[in-house]
Amino acid sequence: MSAATVARPGPSLSSLVRGGGAVWVVVAVMVVWLSAVRGGGFWSTGNLAALLSGAVVLGLVALGQHIVVLTGGIDLSVGSMVTLTSLLTAVLINGYPIRTVPVVVAIVLIGALMGGINGSLVSIAGLPPFIVTLGMLYLVSGVALTVSPTPDGRVTSALTGFATSTFGPVPAPFLVLLASVVVIWALLTRTAWGRHVFAVGGDQHAARAVGIGTTSVLMRAYVVSGTLAGLAGVLLAARTAIGSPTAGTGLELSAITAVVIGGTSLLGGRGSLLGTMGGVALLSLITNSITLLQFPSTLTDLIRGLIIIAAVAVFVVKRKE
Amino acid sequence: MTVSQRTALGAREVTKSFPGVRALDNVSFACRPGRVHALLGENGAGKSTLVRILTGDQSPDTGTVVVDDVEVALGSPREALAHGVVPVYQELTVLPEMTVLDNVMLGQEVRRRRWLDSRRQLDVVREALERVSLGEVSPTTLAGDLSLANQQLVEIARAVVRRSPVLILDEPSAVLSGDKLEALHDVVRTIAASGTAVVYITHLLEEVHELADDVTILRDGAVVSTGPVAKYDTDRIVREMVGRQVEQVFPDPPDHGAAVMLRVSSLVPRGSDAAPVDLDVRAGEIVGLAGLVGSGRSRFLRTLAGARKRATGTVELDGDTVKASINATIDAGVVLVPEERKRDGLVLDLTVSDNTTLTSLGAVSTWGLLRTQREENAFAEERERLDIKTAGPRQLTRQLSGGNQQKIVIAKWLQVSPRVLLLDEPTRGVDIGAKNEIYRIIRELAAEGMAIVIASSELAEVVGLAHRVLVFRDGAVVGEVGRNTESSEKIMHLALGTAS
Repeated sequence: MSAATVARPGPSLSSLVRGGGAVWVVVAVMVVWLSAVRGGGFWSTGNLAALLSGAVVLGLVALGQHIVVLTGGIDLSVGSMVTLTSLLTAVLINGYPIRTVPVVVAIVLIGALMGGINGSLVSIAGLPPFIVTLGMLYLVSGVALTVSPTPDGRVTSALTGFATSTFGPVPAPFLVLLASVVVIWALLTRTAWGRHVFAVGGDQHAARAVGIGTTSVLMRAYVVSGTLAGLAGVLLAARTAIGSPTAGTGLELSAITAVVIGGTSLLGGRGSLLGTMGGVALLSLITNSITLLQFPSTLTDLIRGLIIIAAVAVFVVKRKE
Repeated sequence: MTVSQRTALGAREVTKSFPGVRALDNVSFACRPGRVHALLGENGAGKSTLVRILTGDQSPDTGTVVVDDVEVALGSPREALAHGVVPVYQELTVLPEMTVLDNVMLGQEVRRRRWLDSRRQLDVVREALERVSLGEVSPTTLAGDLSLANQQLVEIARAVVRRSPVLILDEPSAVLSGDKLEALHDVVRTIAASGTAVVYITHLLEEVHELADDVTILRDGAVVSTGPVAKYDTDRIVREMVGRQVEQVFPDPPDHGAAVMLRVSSLVPRGSDAAPVDLDVRAGEIVGLAGLVGSGRSRFLRTLAGARKRATGTVELDGDTVKASINATIDAGVVLVPEERKRDGLVLDLTVSDNTTLTSLGAVSTWGLLRTQREENAFAEERERLDIKTAGPRQLTRQLSGGNQQKIVIAKWLQVSPRVLLLDEPTRGVDIGAKNEIYRIIRELAAEGMAIVIASSELAEVVGLAHRVLVFRDGAVVGEVGRNTESSEKIMHLALGTAS
C-alpha cells in the first residue's frame, strides 16, 4: 500500500526532468558558453552543418533505443546493426548508380529483420533483452567482419551528394532525422500502440491484465529500433562514402546515454522524446566542442564521462527506497 | 422479480493445487445475470485463486470455467476479456506514470482509422469518471498523484467503460470509505441493474447485506454453502467462514513463566496513524496476533523486529531498552521469521548449510576464514533438532519444499540463541505434515523458555497455538481473546468489526 504514496521531489525540477526539458537547459548553457569562448567558429556555417550531420546517426539510433527502453528493455545491438548495414550499403552498391535505390530499400528491410530477430527472442521466447541484444551485438559484428575485415565498397555520388546537400543551413540527412522524430512522436503519442509501449514498460502484468497483447507490442518496438538502425547505416555510409567493419562501434552506449540523460527511466514506462533528443544534442555538442576548442581528441571519453555523471546526478529522477 | 437461471459466469468442479497446497478443491459456483454475488471466505480460503482462474490469469488443474452457459478455456486475461469477463484486481493495475485518461482507456482505446480519437476518448473518460464520483479529477492528472482510494475508482472507471456482461470486483472496498464507498455501491447497483453479473469479494459484512443478492462461502479451498443473501445473517456467515473442525489438533500450550520478558510500550510504526500498541510477553508464553490482511499485524511485527522504523514507542527485554534497529534487536535476542520467506528469509540459491549459518558467520570462522566443517556441523545439529529433510548440507535451498525451507529460516535464527522469536505467517505455503511439525517446534521452543509472538491469517493456527490472541484492525489492537471454545468466532467478529 505504501508504494503508491511515494514522495516526489520538488515539483518544478521534477516536472522539468519528467518532461525532458532539463537536459535542454544544459544544452542551452553549453551553447551560450561555446558562443562566448569560440563564437565565430561555433556559429560558422561549416561548424553548424558538421554539428547537425554528426547528430543524425546517433539521433536515429537513440530514437529506436528510446522506444525499447520505454518498454523496459534495452537494445545493445544497435551499434553493430549500424556497422553491418553501412558496410553492406557500400559493398552492395559498390559504385553502380543503378543499385542505389534497391540497395537502400533492402538495407532498411535488413535492419527491420534484425530487429525482428531481437523482438522474437525477447517477446515470444521471453528471453531477457540485455542478453539477447548482447548476443546479437557479437553476432552482427561477426557477420560484418565476415563480409569484409577491412574497409570496402563504395557508395554512389547520388548518396554522397545527398549527405552533403543542404536546405538553407540544414543538411539533408538532418531532415531525415527530423522526419523520423515526428513519425515516432506521432506513433508514441497518437496511437494505441504508443500507449501500450508505456503500459508494458510500466507494469507488464497490469498491461496483460487489461488485455494488451504484450508480445506484439514488444515485437514492434524492436522492429522499429532495427529499422531506424538500418536507416542510420545507410546515412552513415553516405557520409563516409566507403564501408567499414567497425563504423558503428560504441553507438549503442551513446544511444543509451542519450536516452538516460534525457530523463527516461531504464526501468521502463516513463520518458520523453524531447529529453532523448536533448541527450543527442548534448552528446553531439560535447564532441563538437572538443574539436572546436582543439582539445586533444583523446580526452573525448574522459570529458564525456564527467558530463554524463554530472548530468545524471542532477537531472535523473532518483529512485526512492 | 424472476431470476434468470443462465450462468453469466461460473466454475464447474474446479480444482487447483500449488506445491504443497490444494488451493481449490472441486469448487462449483454460478453467478446469474443482473445479480451481485458476494464471494466470502477467510484469508487463504481460495477466493483469489478462484478469481485468477475465472479471469484467465491461471488455469485450473481440473474442471472448467463457464461463461454465458458455455464451458470455455481461458488461456489468458485477454481471452477472458474477449468473453466479456472484466476483472478489477485487488492489486491495483493502475499505472502511476500514465495519466488518468490513458489509464481508463488502456487496452480499449477509441481509434479513428489508426489514430487515437482524443476528443471521443475524453468524452468517454469524463462520463466514466463522473459515474464513479471522480468528476472533479482532471483526466490529464498523473494517476500516481491520486490517492489510493481514487486510484481504485479509476480502475473501476476502466471497467465501467467496457460495459461487459460480467464484472469481478476483488475487494474494491478495502481502501474506500465514506462518500467514495457510497459511490462505489451506487456504481455496482447501476451496473447490475443493467443486466451485468457482478462477482463481489469483500471483508466488510455490512456490505454483503447492503449490496449482494447471492452469497457463496469458501473455506480451505472448498465451497461451504451458497444461496440467496436473505438466508445469511452475520452470525451464519462468520460461523461458516471460520469452521470449527481443526481445533482439536492442538494440545494446550506448555505453561509459561510469570515474569515479563518482552515489554513493548506504545509502539507506532513510522508512517502509520493508528493507535499505539502495547504488548507484554512472558518467558515461555505464546502470543498470537490475528486480523485481516492489511490490519497491521505484520507491520507491527516488522517494526518490533527493527525492520521498519518506529514513529514512537519503546521495546524492553528483561528491563533493558532495545534500540530501534535490526542489528540492535538481533543482538538483544529478538528475531523475526518473516512473512515473505523467499524474499526476506532465505537466499534461495545458497546451500541449506550456508543459509543456516548466515546469521552466525563469526561463530563458524577462524581469522575471518569460514570453516566448512564447522558450518556443516552447525547445520547437522539443526537438521537433527528440527527434522529438516534434505539430501545433505550442500543441497540448494531452492530445491526444498516450503515446509523445509521454513525450518531453515527458523534454524538460521536459532543459531543466534534468541530470547524472543517473532513469526509472521509461519505456515504459509507449507503442507499439512510440515505445518504440524512447525507447530511442534514452536511449542518446544516455548517450553524451553523462549517468548514467542506469532501472527497468522489462519485463525485455527493462532487460536490453537497461543495462550492468548490479540486482534488487530486498522493498525490497532481492538481486543484480546483467551483460550476457549468460542475464541475463533470472537476473533473473527473483532477482526471484521462486527463484534456486539
